[in-house]
Amino acid sequence: MAIDSGATSAKHTAEQEWCDMPLAARTAARLRIPADLESLDLVAGFVLELGRSGRLSSSETYRLRLAADELATNIVMHGYRGASGDICVDGGVAPDRVWVRFVDDAPAFDPRGGMKSPDLEMPLARRAVGGLGVFLALTAVDRFDYELVAGRNVSTLTIRRGHHDG
Amino acid sequence: MSFDGILSVSEGIATIEIKGELDASTAPRFHDLIDQAAEQGAVRLEIDARHLDFLASAGLRSLVFARQKMGDEVRIAVIGATEPVSRTIRLAGFDHSIELIDA
Repeated sequence: MAIDSGATSAKHTAEQEWCDMPLAARTAARLRIPADLESLDLVAGFVLELGRSGRLSSSETYRLRLAADELATNIVMHGYRGASGDICVDGGVAPDRVWVRFVDDAPAFDPRGGMKSPDLEMPLARRAVGGLGVFLALTAVDRFDYELVAGRNVSTLTIRRGHHDG
Repeated sequence: MSFDGILSVSEGIATIEIKGELDASTAPRFHDLIDQAAEQGAVRLEIDARHLDFLASAGLRSLVFARQKMGDEVRIAVIGATEPVSRTIRLAGFDHSIELIDA
């Protein structure tokens, strides 16, 4: 019994801490949100604030927010698929970039695998629109990284600073 | 997320004014308005996007739904979209099937 309860409590601690571990230096802010569409508002607020801290242009902030919204939606709809879970969001400002990272506990899923460029020749009424969100996310940011770390999906969105495009 | 949509129909032209942010959390409301516009048998659908601040892929999927629901003979236009919103519509290639006006 003692062994069992010890194992349980160790697991419990690990569950609690996966969002709180120091995942990287220069982390400016962190957020833990339930995996549902209502959380998209929190993601937007987080990214807009990060854009302000990183002095991104409005266009750069829009791109980062679009990618973050699409990625979070993807995690909710295709990762957790309606199951309850958490998404850990952190982000920061480095001299050359602003980044936002999503960590989730859903089954391993590399969003880049779901990317499909839109078929521009196909009439809209017959267009398959799966993969559109990932396409927008990947084209919006300057860099998109995905890793599977200790069984968790870790996706990082990066905007380079100082490319003033309005 | 803030989103407001208002549908008005006059002389066969349905106008949906959309304001705020359109993503997966708000798109179902836009979807409902498109449904209502289609039921009223409009010959043209105008989406007034002058006050739309944000458009994600879920909003684009609503436009696909509009295109499918309204029938081939119905013209659909998005009016006054801001630069980032119209850029997303063009990037997805939707400007081939939906008119972008004043964008």
